[in-house]
Amino acid sequence: MSESKLVDARNSFCPGPLMELIAHMKRASVGDTLELLSTDQGSVEDVPAWIHKVGHEMVSTEKVGGVWHIKVRKAK
Amino acid sequence: MSNLTENAPAAASPAPPNYAQELEQLADLALLVASARDAMSDEMVARLARSFSEGVALLDRLTRNEGLMRLLQVLDRPETQHLLLGFSKALSQMSREVAIAPPARGGIAGIWQLVREPGTQEALRSLSVLGQYWSESMRELDRQATQGRTST
Amino acid sequence: MKILVVGGGTGGTIVANNLSRRLAREIRAGKVVITMLSASERHMYQPGLLYVAFGQMSPDELYRDQASLLEPSIAFHVDPVTNFDLDQNRVRTQSGSTHEYDILVIATGSRIVPEEIPGLAEGAEHFFTEEGALRLHKRLMQFEGGTVALTVSIPHKCPVAPVEAMFMLHDFFKARGIRDKVRLRYHYPVNHVHATANVARWAKPEFDEAGIEYETLFNVKEIDPARKVIHSEEGTEVSYDLLIAIPPHRGMEVIEQNKLGDGGWIPTDRYKLTMDGHDNVYVIGDATNVPVSKTGSAAHYEAELVAENVASFIKTGAPGREYDGRVYCFIEAGFDRATYNSFDYVNLPELKRPTKSVHWFKVAYNQMYWTTVRGVL
Repeated sequence: MSESKLVDARNSFCPGPLMELIAHMKRASVGDTLELLSTDQGSVEDVPAWIHKVGHEMVSTEKVGGVWHIKVRKAK
Repeated sequence: MSNLTENAPAAASPAPPNYAQELEQLADLALLVASARDAMSDEMVARLARSFSEGVALLDRLTRNEGLMRLLQVLDRPETQHLLLGFSKALSQMSREVAIAPPARGGIAGIWQLVREPGTQEALRSLSVLGQYWSESMRELDRQATQGRTST
Repeated sequence: MKILVVGGGTGGTIVANNLSRRLAREIRAGKVVITMLSASERHMYQPGLLYVAFGQMSPDELYRDQASLLEPSIAFHVDPVTNFDLDQNRVRTQSGSTHEYDILVIATGSRIVPEEIPGLAEGAEHFFTEEGALRLHKRLMQFEGGTVALTVSIPHKCPVAPVEAMFMLHDFFKARGIRDKVRLRYHYPVNHVHATANVARWAKPEFDEAGIEYETLFNVKEIDPARKVIHSEEGTEVSYDLLIAIPPHRGMEVIEQNKLGDGGWIPTDRYKLTMDGHDNVYVIGDATNVPVSKTGSAAHYEAELVAENVASFIKTGAPGREYDGRVYCFIEAGFDRATYNSFDYVNLPELKRPTKSVHWFKVAYNQMYWTTVRGVL
């Protein structure tokens, strides 16, 4: 049963949104969707860069208020 | 007629401030700091920091010790100082006399002789008066402690 | 009012001592009791492990008796907690005792779990335990040339440790006179040389100048100790002669066993530092799930805030102030220069260039740490 998890990394410089996402991905199961919340502009490029290199799926990216909501799925 | 305007030289604009001396002093200071830094090593810094840390921790413990702080206040009083000085003087005189006196032989006769000495009577009187005040003081403290427990 | 502190590390010790000082009057009057439960009678200064690995500190300098660091009014027991019964406001310990509390502070910290990555325990060195640091030091002294690779697994405590280690390796081999025979390779999980933007901006040119090679977007999948190869999740392979791996971390087992948090990280309000769903339980230090660096400095600032808030609540019922995410990390840039990163949830200033003075500040702090945990500094 795939789950949907929220990773709240707003206003976090260290370890930073992508690191938080990777740490949560490790604990997630294949098929799970993770939604990353980030106030860091860099996440918009950083997250897809890692997702594509490692072989997971990008689901969506949208900006709501001052916060980016980046959805990814664990593919392997 | 005033001699103030006749003999006064023409007013000149003030000279710009010269900080050459101050700058040289600053440079000296910077050189001092640099030379101290050159002399220092990791180990020296660690040792200094350790002494400082332990010192600060000790100071903190001492200053928060109420007993010690109150004792310091008592020691500040001249009467206390006189008392302690008098006591220490008496102690050193006593030690000198006892050191050269022959050892006590023991037995009832020795006790009888001791009872007749003025020093013995002085000591017993001092102890007796001390005992009175000391016991009263302890009873007073106990009364305060009991009151404190029952009144809360 | 019973206050229970679980964990005798940096955060736990500071919060207990701080509370004991602020509530000295209440404690003397018997209105407040502070108890600390720890799994160890010793307190370890963890940042010293990096120096042990490079032969600059000896292991005995890392430890002090926990009891000697605590205010006398704190009831201290070396008796680790086995069960948390938060609904009943009590915990049970290894010895079978039960401790009830009005306010609980969980400061259990984090642990390394190298076994999560196949081959890591057998093939890699690290400096996150005394044993590991000593073993690494030996291997560094015996190393005569080849590739020294450093990898980073997440999450891990002390975010700047990988960067510091690279600069110390550079100076170490220079001092041994064999820097030209050693290839230093740094691998990092995200697409920058460090997760924190200002550290990444500062470190990259420093790496270039020191001749340190780096590969980003490298997440360790498994190690082949026999062939001495690292395999990444991204599908790349790297050979090494000496591998230093920053291992993955989890919260303490007791947290996971009691189902207090996924991965051992307890869900905590990042401003109030209270556990989600339990207003009388505070969580500080590595044990939280707060997106703040897992460092001693964060634990320190959090502990001071919690102590202040709990004390003012007990004395006046006033609400407390909030944690601003403050962190202060020294960053060694070699054997004799260092800079520091001081930031919070909102501000991230650029790093200043490394100087000897800041390095000495760190050397001094290695000693001043003990004054900090006592609540004096």
